[in-house]
Amino acid sequence: MTRATTLLGFLGLVLTLLIVWRRSWPARLRLFVMHALLVASLALAVGIYAGQAGLLLVALVVAVLKGWFIPRALARIAAGTPVRPVAAGTSAGTALLAAGGLVVVAYVVMAPVAGRSTLPTAGAVPLAFATALLGLFVTVTGRDAFGHILGFLTFENGIFSLALLATYGLPSIVEAGVFLDVLVIVLIMEGVTVQIRREHDSIDVDRLRELRG
Amino acid sequence: MTVVGLLLVPLLGAAGLALNPGRAGRLVHGATAGLTLGLAGAVVAAVVRTGPVTALDGLLRVDALSAWLVALIGLVGALVAAEAPRQVPVPASGRFYPLLHLFVFTMLLAVTTDDVGLMWVAVEATTLASVFLVNHERSRASLEAAYKYVLICSVGVAIAFAGTILIYFADIHSLGRPAHALRWTALVRVGPELPVPVVQLAFVFLLVGYGTKAGLAPMHTWLPDAHSEAPAPVSALMSGVLLSVGLYAIVRFKVVADLAAGPAFTRRLLLALGLGSVAVAAAFVWSPRSYKRMLAYSSIEHAGIACLGLGFGGPWGLGGALLHVANHALAKSVLFLLSGRIRAAYGSPAIGAVSGLSAAMPLTGRSFLLAMLALLGLPPFGLFVSEFLIFGAGFRGGHAAVAAAGLGFLLVAFAGLLRATHRMLYGAPPAGGVPEPTGWAAAWPVAAALGLLVATGLAWPPGLAAALESVAGILSP
Repeated sequence: MTRATTLLGFLGLVLTLLIVWRRSWPARLRLFVMHALLVASLALAVGIYAGQAGLLLVALVVAVLKGWFIPRALARIAAGTPVRPVAAGTSAGTALLAAGGLVVVAYVVMAPVAGRSTLPTAGAVPLAFATALLGLFVTVTGRDAFGHILGFLTFENGIFSLALLATYGLPSIVEAGVFLDVLVIVLIMEGVTVQIRREHDSIDVDRLRELRG
Repeated sequence: MTVVGLLLVPLLGAAGLALNPGRAGRLVHGATAGLTLGLAGAVVAAVVRTGPVTALDGLLRVDALSAWLVALIGLVGALVAAEAPRQVPVPASGRFYPLLHLFVFTMLLAVTTDDVGLMWVAVEATTLASVFLVNHERSRASLEAAYKYVLICSVGVAIAFAGTILIYFADIHSLGRPAHALRWTALVRVGPELPVPVVQLAFVFLLVGYGTKAGLAPMHTWLPDAHSEAPAPVSALMSGVLLSVGLYAIVRFKVVADLAAGPAFTRRLLLALGLGSVAVAAAFVWSPRSYKRMLAYSSIEHAGIACLGLGFGGPWGLGGALLHVANHALAKSVLFLLSGRIRAAYGSPAIGAVSGLSAAMPLTGRSFLLAMLALLGLPPFGLFVSEFLIFGAGFRGGHAAVAAAGLGFLLVAFAGLLRATHRMLYGAPPAGGVPEPTGWAAAWPVAAALGLLVATGLAWPPGLAAALESVAGILSP
């Protein structure tokens, strides 16, 4: 079990690093779908191992919601924009260097949790947290609405994996609330992005400059 | 069951208004707001009479701290509901009124549930319910504000989710897997046995996450935009009670963290964030372009003051912080509602565009001045008392340097707010005059809020001291 979850956690981190590295949005979207399916299989693995039938349902919901429904919304958000950003942002090299630093930070911060846990999945906890931090990094450095939302969802995936690994999932009422939240956030962001595009003819957030000071 | 009713009424009201009842919309809106206030009063009365009230197998639990917030949400919600139809027409408003009541529902749920996981869901839902309220005017600026709001608050609250997971981890780590591991009452029971480093880590996440919602610097960047671009009734609700709900969530976890790790850890963090917020606000109230933005920065200042009170601790600090949250909610919601009237009359949110307010709009201008004096912390209004309690706690509790620095920033903000208010109130009134809402219907919400502020400042109605004491008792078990 330890080996399986650590492997899944590691693969998740690699996918997230690729999301940080890649610049073209269709490629990043494909990576995100793979990441979502990975989280679903993590839920499946933990569910089978811990004998929690509820997690099997969670795995199914994650696969459908984050592996299929939300990516479609993301594609609608990004549709029509150039595949690669026109303006130069942070270079891929700098981004990866910062990402490497964040992984180290994740190990340091999560040391009290990973060291204290008696669960066989504890070894992968810092990996999940590193994924979350990288998602946050993508959000903060994102230059358009697609980058922001993709980063947020990756961040959320990381935290969700953290919950799976550290506690074998949360009480069902909370899980249900989390799914509903993610779904509504994406739909709201899609609605807002549609309006932004109508107003500014772009989803590049550098054009949002009405409010300063 | 009154608690369940309290949650059902705004939810059903929102559903009813979403069905677009046409002319009956105004009636549904009024009935929902009135019933919500009435049930909030009933719940508070029940808590005062018999102590904590529970429902749905303990999922909902209202103790004195929750009741304090329920009363606040009920009062500010009623003020806002009374004023809203003046500024946003009821029949032609589409999704505004359903979302307004849904917003109130999510805030009530956040403060009445005992389950910190469900509380997280509710706090996140407050953002989702209010995004399109912020964006109601559909201007470019309001769109940008809504975008920032949903993005920053979602990320912030997701950080609080990580903190909640860590608390859950700490709980099941020390106790196996109890049935209601995420219930606050259960967390308090096992608090002293929780692993200290994990709880400390969790509290940092929770403070950053819910601090975003509470408008504490440096996570406050969404706040001035959202507050200034939203319609005035929404700004009043956000500034008055949404920030308070964020602080409430922090307070709940502060209790747990203090039980596990002692009060020194949370105190340092709260004092740092509180002082930082007051400092940022003091700098920014000097240079806003619009009066609503200025009021928004002042909200950051007052969130910081309440945070300082929580950090100073003791009955004065804790009771003062809670009283301050209520006082600020009343004063600030009146100011935002009046700023909506001013904007409608002058047609501009810019401070420079408003002059001669006290001559052109006598009732509005005078009320604005009174509410501003209350906000500035002058007697006989309640904020004087709560600020006195908070900073008194600081000086008496051995945090003289922090308290003195906080008071210094307060003075700077005081001068900045007064300068802008002076510019708006005096000078030449616009030629031809401006329309002003007058009469009983326009006056009573303002008069009621100012009356309550005088009550908490001067009269201390019977029961207030006891209520504050029992709330402070929950905060330092």
